Amino acid sequence: MSTSIENTLPHEEETKLTFKENLIALAVISLVSLVSNWAGTGATPIETLPAMLIIYAMVVAGLVLAKMIPIGFPAVAWVSLVSVLLTIPMSPVSEPILAELKSISFLAMVTPILAYAAIAITKMEVDLFKRSGFKIAIISILVFTGTYVGSAFVANTFL
Amino acid sequence: MKTSSPLISLLLNWRLHAIVVAISVLSEWIGIQSIPVANAKLLFLPLFYAFALCLFLNPNITKFSGKILTKKGASIAAPLIVIGILPFIAKFGTLIGPALPKIAEAGPAMVMQELGNLGTMLIAMPIAVLIFKMGREAIGATYSIAREPNIALISDRYGLKSNEGIGVMGVYVMGTMFGTIYFSLLAGFLATTGWLDPRALAMACGVGSGSMTAACSGTLASAYPTMKDEILAFAGASNLLTNATGLYVAIFIALPFSEWFYKKLSGETASDLTTKEAN
Repeated sequence: MSTSIENTLPHEEETKLTFKENLIALAVISLVSLVSNWAGTGATPIETLPAMLIIYAMVVAGLVLAKMIPIGFPAVAWVSLVSVLLTIPMSPVSEPILAELKSISFLAMVTPILAYAAIAITKMEVDLFKRSGFKIAIISILVFTGTYVGSAFVANTFL
Repeated sequence: MKTSSPLISLLLNWRLHAIVVAISVLSEWIGIQSIPVANAKLLFLPLFYAFALCLFLNPNITKFSGKILTKKGASIAAPLIVIGILPFIAKFGTLIGPALPKIAEAGPAMVMQELGNLGTMLIAMPIAVLIFKMGREAIGATYSIAREPNIALISDRYGLKSNEGIGVMGVYVMGTMFGTIYFSLLAGFLATTGWLDPRALAMACGVGSGSMTAACSGTLASAYPTMKDEILAFAGASNLLTNATGLYVAIFIALPFSEWFYKKLSGETASDLTTKEAN
């Protein structure tokens, strides 16, 4: 399984979006999430639009921070920091933000992401999967199980 | 909106988004279902159906789906989820914020469980080396949960064409394809056994990527509806910590330990390995 690894590099087909393209992609994903949320919770996109705009603003703030403060923190960490800090109990905007965001279900936001994730699987990944097969599948399951159970066990001990 | 660049027109490819919307709505309508297994349950969430159904609609996987969505149309999905996970991360953060005082109380558990994922190696590495007779692929495959930062590190140290690189890529691809679903099933199953504190299970959900954390903690929240907010907050905080520190744990602890452990294990089967590594 080691001969044709040249065409299995992860960055082979990687497309980096520019800031502007990111904003467009975000807008599309946000709209898709609104519809998924509608199906899941019954809250119409018109009711949930303000909540989504708040989320959109948080993401943009995170992306801008990641660009301006290049200390190696990934954009996800910045976005997370922004939204955590805005909603800690001491924050003056915490209550209005939380009240508005109640209308958006956390799980309904994940559903479309996994739909995209399934479509994002590339030919290269399917090939590598077929080629490396059984052994790596078993090892992967052990890795996932070991990581999860290991962390849960340690956390349980220290709680 | 003017679609000046080809990438933007690809981003606005309505077929891709229409498929995602249709499948998401259908999945949400099916709702949460469960199958009893022994004394526990396997929980199935809408995200699970969405993933499974879209695998069938991926033109790289099934032939007929090429008629609905071209490979080029599908290719934008990968960069799209990198950014698409962010709105969800922002929503996640708003669950962490209000719970921060509670999370701080669980501080030591939170920090220590970051090291708990070293448990990976204790099980997977011996099996890889002793039973499957894997060579140095075992280091790449088992030193971490093989997400992007872990690949970056292996790539930097050994190169992706090395044995270590093949190992890490193998597990990465498995994780991309099935990791999210597997985490969700595993967490839901452990939750229904009642062996561990739900908060501990929630923190462990944070070990992987954002979508793994989401699927995993979403299932937990469905298993313990009364603790929903707390569970999502703990999982989100743990994932934030993993994002911020994961690479450093990998560099300074996991990879050196994995090198050492591999040498210990392979020493016992040195003759097997030299022949294996020769080809």
